[in-house]
Amino acid sequence: MERLGRRGFLTVAAALAATLVVSGCSGEKLEGDSSNNKGAGAVTLKVNFWGDMGLDQLKAKYEAAHPNVKIVLNSGEYNAQHEDLQKKLIAGSGVPDISAVDEGFIIQFRSQADKFVNYLDKGGAEFESRYLPWKWKQSLSTDGKQIGLGTDVGGLAIAYRTDLFQKAGLPTDREAVSKLWTTWDDFINVGKRYTEKTGKKFVDSGTNMFNPVLAQQPAGFYNEQEQLTMDGGPKVAFDTSIKAIQAGISANLVSFQPGWDQGFKKDQFAVLPCPAWMLGHIQKTAPDQKGKWDIATVPGGGGNWGGSFWTVPAAGKNVDAAVDFVKWLVQPEQQIEVFKTVGNLPSQPALYKDPAVLNFKHEFMNNAPTGQIFASTAENLKPQFLGKKNGPTRVAVENVITRVQQGKLKPEDAWAEAVKEAEKVAKSAQN
Amino acid sequence: MSLTQIRPVAQHQSPPPTPGRAKLWLHRFDNKTIPYVLISPFFILFAVFGIFPIIFNGVVAARNWRLDDPDRTGWAGAGNFTRLLQDEDFWNALGNTFGIFILSSVPQLLMALILASLLNRKLRATTWWRIGVLLPYLTPVVASTLVFSVFFNRDSGMANWFLSLVGFGQETPLDWRAEKWSSWIAIATMVNWKWIGYNALLYLSAMQTIPKDVYEAAAVDGAGPWRQLWQITVPMIQPVVVFTVILSTIGGLQLFNEPMMFDENPQSASGGSDHQFQTIAQLIYKVGWKDLDMGYAAAMSWALFLIILIVAGVNTLLTKRIGGDR
Amino acid sequence: MTTFANRAPQDTPGSWKTYLGLTIALLVAAFPVYWMFVIATSTDAAVSQIPPSVIPGGEFLNNAREVFTLQQVYFAASLINSFIVASVTTAATLFFCSLAGFAFAKLRFRGRNALMVVVILTLTVPTQLGVVALYIVMGKLQWNGTLLAVIAPGLVSAFGVFYMRQFIAHAVPDELVESARIDGANTMRVYRSIILPAIRPALAVLGLLTFVMAWNEFQWPLIQLNGTEFPTSMVALSDLASGNYVIYRRVLAGAFLATVPLIVLLLAGGRQLVRGIMEGAVKS
Repeated sequence: MERLGRRGFLTVAAALAATLVVSGCSGEKLEGDSSNNKGAGAVTLKVNFWGDMGLDQLKAKYEAAHPNVKIVLNSGEYNAQHEDLQKKLIAGSGVPDISAVDEGFIIQFRSQADKFVNYLDKGGAEFESRYLPWKWKQSLSTDGKQIGLGTDVGGLAIAYRTDLFQKAGLPTDREAVSKLWTTWDDFINVGKRYTEKTGKKFVDSGTNMFNPVLAQQPAGFYNEQEQLTMDGGPKVAFDTSIKAIQAGISANLVSFQPGWDQGFKKDQFAVLPCPAWMLGHIQKTAPDQKGKWDIATVPGGGGNWGGSFWTVPAAGKNVDAAVDFVKWLVQPEQQIEVFKTVGNLPSQPALYKDPAVLNFKHEFMNNAPTGQIFASTAENLKPQFLGKKNGPTRVAVENVITRVQQGKLKPEDAWAEAVKEAEKVAKSAQN
Repeated sequence: MSLTQIRPVAQHQSPPPTPGRAKLWLHRFDNKTIPYVLISPFFILFAVFGIFPIIFNGVVAARNWRLDDPDRTGWAGAGNFTRLLQDEDFWNALGNTFGIFILSSVPQLLMALILASLLNRKLRATTWWRIGVLLPYLTPVVASTLVFSVFFNRDSGMANWFLSLVGFGQETPLDWRAEKWSSWIAIATMVNWKWIGYNALLYLSAMQTIPKDVYEAAAVDGAGPWRQLWQITVPMIQPVVVFTVILSTIGGLQLFNEPMMFDENPQSASGGSDHQFQTIAQLIYKVGWKDLDMGYAAAMSWALFLIILIVAGVNTLLTKRIGGDR
Repeated sequence: MTTFANRAPQDTPGSWKTYLGLTIALLVAAFPVYWMFVIATSTDAAVSQIPPSVIPGGEFLNNAREVFTLQQVYFAASLINSFIVASVTTAATLFFCSLAGFAFAKLRFRGRNALMVVVILTLTVPTQLGVVALYIVMGKLQWNGTLLAVIAPGLVSAFGVFYMRQFIAHAVPDELVESARIDGANTMRVYRSIILPAIRPALAVLGLLTFVMAWNEFQWPLIQLNGTEFPTSMVALSDLASGNYVIYRRVLAGAFLATVPLIVLLLAGGRQLVRGIMEGAVKS
């Protein structure tokens, strides 16, 4: 670095100032917008979501039909998008016009229902009858405000390896397999048979059994008065997963971690609780296992893992236009379009009779009629009330199950520990 | 700096006579006001961008504010703070934070000093060595955490493979995330990997300004490079060492990224199934963004602030004492 | 036996032990980065391969193309934006922090020590809610969603002031400043003629570290630039991780591409770094 003379200083200072000014002007401001009102009624809608929700074609279609509407798609990372929404809600500005919210976060946001548009105020009541009852309830706030219109559901089925089943002397045809495990106890017994025969583990994780079982119970962690009720549904689900761990059929892996991915290749598990949206991942992770996988129904009949909602933050600038767009997005025509392009299962049961869903066969999964299978599991799920602290309580109990899997906690002591942890979470809500 | 460069002190003690009041005023301005002008950009920026967040944090810490319960508002006073004292998660996280901190900062700074001394030689391909050791610092967090997550995998991670070479964990591979001691070591390894090169570079730049005659003057017969390093070089760069101690204390106690990514379910921010590696910063994140209790999270961050103050202060005193005050 | 103590280490050629130590350090430092490159050049299946693949695949161009053409990620633009943000931040930091560090180290004024402590204290301020609070401040200034909002808070860093102060205190003897004063130099003259030449190595180091820090910054640019058409590189990387599950080959290809400019900078500036540091040493 040469000696900076005075001229040098001034040049640097000037350059700095210039760049600051330029960068300030080059921004497309998110508020104080002039861009939205160019021309009569011109509107720009910003949509936040993650992954591929089939919006690219739909956007073009909607814009063609509504020339004054421009749609800006913003796909980001799953957790980052939800956190971003939460932070902007607190700040009261910078919210997107439409935000997708996942099942895992919907409770958090429905507790802040006043920050969202209530669809019931905007003619949304007619939608209720179209949706799966439990899906409608998930985004309904405790004071009856509907902040979300559901888009897709995951459903839940059991994916299984036909070749590994064959080696263990188990049937491989999906009807036969579905009959093998109509209850979870049957499921565990099949697992024991498999493990004894082959020496390998059966299911990928104990926690992946806890959640499906819990979802099938009439009551979950909290009753409608927001009181912790561990002895009902949670105990049933907990005991099932501990039984599975004690039977030695769990490979003790954690979903979507590299170790779990490797588990596919090493045949570390033969079955997998699998929602519709996971199929793509299986395909990409283990492409050479094509044709070796198939889908059977889940024990207990009904299930769901994941699924999202479209919400409209109240602080947005174009609330009415946004609501119109969302209402269009959830029309049957668009939902079938999404199913065809990205495979997301609609959450409106009437659509399950649509030939596109009914007749769909998934090539990788041995041509299983995944549309039908997932649809029926989604239909068979009964609504369950989810308390405000459902998320943290579930995490706390899952941790206890993991500790048993890791060998740090004895199965006999596990239930007391789970109750203790759940009570800690519930109590922290009272402070 | 060689002693011969200092000019002999002028005999007259008073400055030459200043003609005119303008010059006098300029002189005073230069002496008394310029220093404040020079440091003002920092404080102005801080006043604009730094003060409000602190006040915000302070106010929130004294209030009841839960994102999932809009009805519960009002002043909590010291309520959030007293809750801390009985919160076993807090004390657990504090212990974890300190444990990981000691495991990471002490070896890290020591190894950085040694690495800097290695780099402080006449070397071939100097640029490549320096780039090489800086690579960890350049790597985006998302990439390095994935790599280490796979490295410490229970079933097929390389760490367990190395261990198996020396006969460890043949029957059941070690689950690094399961215990305190293993998770602490793993996280400390990640932190050290990232920051050793960074600190080494800071030390190196300071080492290179040590005047050569200091070495000549300190002739100690038979002393090898090790003694030279610890008895001459390190004391000479003491201000920079103090600097890195303070920085790594602050950074170490605020550790967040690595424990978050080491979690098998990153968004739960549990720091392990039994909170075995949950740090305070991670707990604050969990309480604020997952348990949605903003008031309590703000109070906890003030507690962390206080702890950092105390520990950094203690560390500074210790380092100054060991290095000999300057 | 050579008495090392008599010769400055900078003049001692490295022994085989030196090179061995450096090689080990380099291997440890570089291997994770290398593995990241391996994944970035492979297919989806490579992340979960056992044993882990250590040979790069041939998919880099493919993956890179995906990274650049993925809509709404604006990866190419993000590299430029990161460059703007990092450069401005670095230039401003070097300028303001060296002045402030000089003042704290060598000038005498009332409250000097107390104010220095305040500077250090600002490093310890809790940041968990900071992002939201700062967003509110930016909202009042109407700067939300602009690059200016991303750059402004980082123009002068406490880290830079602290580092400069320590370095100047250590590298510039008081007597040098005194004698310049006696010769009639005013403060800025002292800065230009005495301080600046002496702190070249520190400026090089601080410049580099600030650039990297600004380039790799994530939380604040994310809340500002999420969804705009001009993200910075880390924001774009986060967008690459979009989806129900992370497509690692894409993310790591992006991470690799986002790191390359830093490496290039280090290579280009590395000579300068070495020369700057060496010259600083020779001067003594």
